[in-house]
Amino acid sequence: MHPSSEYRPGLPEQNDNVSHNHPLKEFAVLLSGVTAFLLLAAWSLGLLVDWAASFISPEMEAVIFSSMRFSGAALFVQQKDDPRRAELQRLVDELGRCNEVGYPLQVNMAQSKDANAFAFPGGRIIVLEGLLDTMRSENGLSFVLAHEMAHFKHRDHLRGMGRGLVFTALSALLTGAGSDITQLVAPALGVGQARYSQEREALADKLALETLHCFYGHVGGATEFFEAMQEESGKQGRGIGGYFASHPEAVQRIDALRSLAAASGFTVRETFRLSTVLVPDTSSQ
Amino acid sequence: MDALIQLIFFLTLLTLGYVFGKIAEKKHYRSIIEREKQWMQIPTTSGRRVLGTDREVKRVQLATGSVVISVDYFKRILAGLRNIFGGNVQSYETLVDRARREAVLRMKESCPQADQIINLRLETASISKGNKNQIGSVEVLAYGTAVYLYPASTAATSP
Amino acid sequence: MLLTNTEEIPGKRITAFYGVVSGSTVRAKHAGRDIMAGFKNIFGGELKGYTELLQESRDEAIKRMKAQARQLGANAVVNVRFSTSSVAAGAAEIYVYGTAVTVE
Repeated sequence: MHPSSEYRPGLPEQNDNVSHNHPLKEFAVLLSGVTAFLLLAAWSLGLLVDWAASFISPEMEAVIFSSMRFSGAALFVQQKDDPRRAELQRLVDELGRCNEVGYPLQVNMAQSKDANAFAFPGGRIIVLEGLLDTMRSENGLSFVLAHEMAHFKHRDHLRGMGRGLVFTALSALLTGAGSDITQLVAPALGVGQARYSQEREALADKLALETLHCFYGHVGGATEFFEAMQEESGKQGRGIGGYFASHPEAVQRIDALRSLAAASGFTVRETFRLSTVLVPDTSSQ
Repeated sequence: MDALIQLIFFLTLLTLGYVFGKIAEKKHYRSIIEREKQWMQIPTTSGRRVLGTDREVKRVQLATGSVVISVDYFKRILAGLRNIFGGNVQSYETLVDRARREAVLRMKESCPQADQIINLRLETASISKGNKNQIGSVEVLAYGTAVYLYPASTAATSP
Repeated sequence: MLLTNTEEIPGKRITAFYGVVSGSTVRAKHAGRDIMAGFKNIFGGELKGYTELLQESRDEAIKRMKAQARQLGANAVVNVRFSTSSVAAGAAEIYVYGTAVTVE
């Protein structure tokens, strides 16, 4: 024992075990740092994906995605014996004369009330039934098909797939899959990706317009689909949500197409009515 | 649009976490400092010997105090961000500091009549360790031996 | 500032004691290191980055404990013990504590 030692009670004035930096400041610095890093990484990896996509030849693509299930197109119900499918296939084949994609395209129909069409790897175009209900003219339908064909020509389907893969891997690697941080940086990545996607859509619109002019000799019906979309969604804009959308707003696309047509000297003439095969059977509904 | 709703939800959680976490922390620190002053008179050491007195030991008893404190959402996110860059995880510093001081205080409060507490040890348990969806909480156990001494006058006459 | 993990310091006499002082740190390595450590886990061997991390954390914790002891007017810390916790995944949490004393 140390009877001689004396107890001197005291408490440290200053707490050395905690830092006295403001947490909000630290948060701002770290968040901007990680966002900048991710945007930079996403941008450079995106370029890498684009570069890699250009190496995948159509033949290789056809082999890789020969299975429906693998390409994602199997999500949609297909009806092989549908006469409308054959008609759409004929239209795509004929449009192909004006826009050589480089490999055979296969059209499939899918049951859905939505008016839309998709381009899937392996040269598959999925047309939703709702699209045929919406379109009035063959020219308008041709534009939508030509737009999807343009995606194949630009290899956007591969780019989109590659980017999705790379971004998911990147955020999972950094923060662990499904963690809260991923949620935080996802909007930044989302805006970046949406901008890229909107750019690709605009490019596809441009090529589709040219295809339409080459095929019919005029660009009547080019804006028909977007006009229908605009009517459906109403006049109000999308607000801040527009920054996250993968497609430009319908109004913008109509304006862009009109100014593009004017600049190229494309004229608008009478459009053809939709082939009777494609017109929905109103009596059964 | 989905991403936007998620972001708003997330920011709300973040703000709630920050505001309430800050209030709770301030309150806790006030209480800790006040009680530490109050209990300062019980000498506490990490050694095995009774220091500073020649009085005889009457009896000893194990004293324990434990606490589980969770971190708020804001600090958890901040720690996650810090994990990417490395360095001091400042948002958890106050958490572990509070937990340890609170555990020691509770240990002292469990034996208010003790003359000294010796051989103090601190142990951390982990309820949420290995859990994938980890709850950022810290569990501290403080334990030591509470020593009760004879009064100074009887110490002289005791054998 | 003298540090020992023994009851007393040989050849010195404790003249005053102040109670328990402590230092703690929670420290993480950047994500790149974590990824490299993940790879290293396949082959085994020393995880240099993590050894370094623990060393740094310990040094920082000791520094903080010394600062506390200094504030109380002590010149040594005896009976020093180390402890860890696990709040944050992928971070080293070191806690060091001991009895602050004055020796002569």
